[in-house]
Amino acid sequence: MPVVELQDVCKSFRKGGEIIQPLRHVDLRIESGEFVSLMGPSGTGKSTLLNLVSGIDQVDSGRIVVDGTEVTTLSRSRLADWRARSIGYIFQTHQLIPVLTAYENVELPTLLLKQSATERHRRVDLALEAVGLADRAAHYPRQLSGGQEQRVGIARAIVSHPRVVVADEPTGSLDTDTSEQIQELLQRLNQELDITMLMVTHDADVAAIASRRLLLDHGKLLETDLNEPGKTAAG
Amino acid sequence: MMKYVLKTIWRHRARTLLTVCGAAVAIFVFGLVTSVQEGLDRLTHGDAFNRSLIVFQENRFCPTSSRLPEDYADRIRPLAGVREVMPIQVWTNNCRASLDIVVFNGADPRQIRAYRPMTLVGGSWQAFESRRDAALVGRSVAQRRDLSVGDQFSIGDVSVHIAGIFRSSVPSEENLIYTSLRFLQYTNSLDAAGLVTQHEVLLTEGADPDRVAAEIDAELRSGTVATRTRRKGAFQAGTLSDLVDLIGFSHWLGYACVGLVLSLVATTTVMSVQDRMKEYAILQVIGARPLGTLRLVLAESTLLCVLGGALGTVAAMILLTFGGYAIGAEGVTIAFRPSTRLVASSLIVSLIVGLLAGLGPAFQVSTIKIVDALRTE
Ligand SMILES: Nc1ncnc2c1ncn2[C@@H]1O[C@H](COP(=O)(O)OP(=O)(O)OP(=O)(O)O)[C@@H](O)[C@H]1O
Ligand SMILES: [Mg+2]
Repeated sequence: MPVVELQDVCKSFRKGGEIIQPLRHVDLRIESGEFVSLMGPSGTGKSTLLNLVSGIDQVDSGRIVVDGTEVTTLSRSRLADWRARSIGYIFQTHQLIPVLTAYENVELPTLLLKQSATERHRRVDLALEAVGLADRAAHYPRQLSGGQEQRVGIARAIVSHPRVVVADEPTGSLDTDTSEQIQELLQRLNQELDITMLMVTHDADVAAIASRRLLLDHGKLLETDLNEPGKTAAG
Repeated sequence: MMKYVLKTIWRHRARTLLTVCGAAVAIFVFGLVTSVQEGLDRLTHGDAFNRSLIVFQENRFCPTSSRLPEDYADRIRPLAGVREVMPIQVWTNNCRASLDIVVFNGADPRQIRAYRPMTLVGGSWQAFESRRDAALVGRSVAQRRDLSVGDQFSIGDVSVHIAGIFRSSVPSEENLIYTSLRFLQYTNSLDAAGLVTQHEVLLTEGADPDRVAAEIDAELRSGTVATRTRRKGAFQAGTLSDLVDLIGFSHWLGYACVGLVLSLVATTTVMSVQDRMKEYAILQVIGARPLGTLRLVLAESTLLCVLGGALGTVAAMILLTFGGYAIGAEGVTIAFRPSTRLVASSLIVSLIVGLLAGLGPAFQVSTIKIVDALRTE
């Protein structure tokens, strides 16, 4: 059974007078443990696709099932509960809460799951260790570098042990070295923790770390050939 | 999650401080206004004031103008429903409304001791009964005028020796000074030998106050001076009628204070939340329910408001406890005293106002479109 399944998903936006339809009858199946990258020209609807999968936006039509839950039918607060359990979301810019320390930021999702204090501590320590920031737990976001902030963001996304993690250009605002560290980290999390990854990127080199690569163009998803990492479907 | 609320409030210390101070000042004023109203309520509706009657000269208001024969007491005493009659001479330094009114009540020392709900906190009954110019001073007057046992206190032509200081279960009593009836009657300016200002009639169990009052007035109609007898509560309300209007008006001041706190805390909360829409969106992305974020906003506004309210309440209580304030007119005084009811009402008002102030932004946050909020930079 696939962990993520999209059936005939359509999504359009009204912008002023015109209607843009970034997703037109999209079908997609992602199996457990896969690392999928998603590329495509700017404005084609990649972020929109992630938002639909993580249930923070609603489809116009079609069906999305993630980890056995049909997210397209859930109410807002049910969706929130479901996200807390099953989805990790990595933003392009970390989006940490500035008044909370690294530790407290990572702890947030576990607070929502109503876990015992000892279980919370264990998980937060584990997540911070996994991203190599155990020694920065007490630091505030402004005291961390961009790469460190992004790693805290990743720790926050994995702390509740979700089946699926979506990442929207996780290396988009980092320099090459830092970007490479993050790529390695994501790959390790995918392999060692068996987290299914769906990652949007503009960078073909970043996309190359994925086990499967997709291209979104003109509202349609295409599989791209693994042997031609630079190829884009411009035509 | 409370940590998030506290740290957010702390991040904008200056804004928090200003809001809390503003709320504190307004709740402080609200507390004072409420205490004035409570004082008046006690005076006009208190049980203590419905079981006794005041016999006063008809169509007279200021105590200096009411002059009843002292021996009216002997004519009232045999009437059915009358337990005891207490002739009282009143003297005040000021017949108009004033914040620093001094009211003397002259009565038989044995009756004072028997019928007034007072406890001495200094001095002794014996000293009071053994000296002609001895006086028992209410705690509030003593505080306000800085008087202690053994002092000589003079005002106008009256000069008394302070034999004791008392507290009373009836707050307005603490604004009185008691002397013996004879002493006050022979004060030069009063020249009231054989005369008293009023008779206070204590009723027997089960007697109908209004019926007894009517009987007293009928009995004394044949006397030299016509009388008007009312329940003590109604008498006091009537005497204070000018002030009652004024105090009724001060209701509006209380409401205005509440409105002030509401708009102040609401403004701060709106500003604070507007700045952090994206944070609430992020919280929802990581799994916070809309209702959960709603509660966070309410917690923030309520905390600010209750913090300010608590400070204002404490300040008001301190002032009321140590100020011993009273406002009086025509020999009747309204005491402003701290009370647990006052504390409770101030705190409950701040709690409710805090919740109301957060309602708008809280609703906004809980219905936010996550995707749109995340797209804003
Ligand atoms: N909430 C919205 N309201 C109106 N239009 C929207 C909204 N969200 C997205 N769009 C439009 O939908 C299209 C797809 O947007 P989306 O953000 O998914 O693109 P993207 O592929 O992630 O682009 P990029 O690579 O630049 O991040 C764009 O044309 C965008 O303007
Ligand atoms: Mg995007």
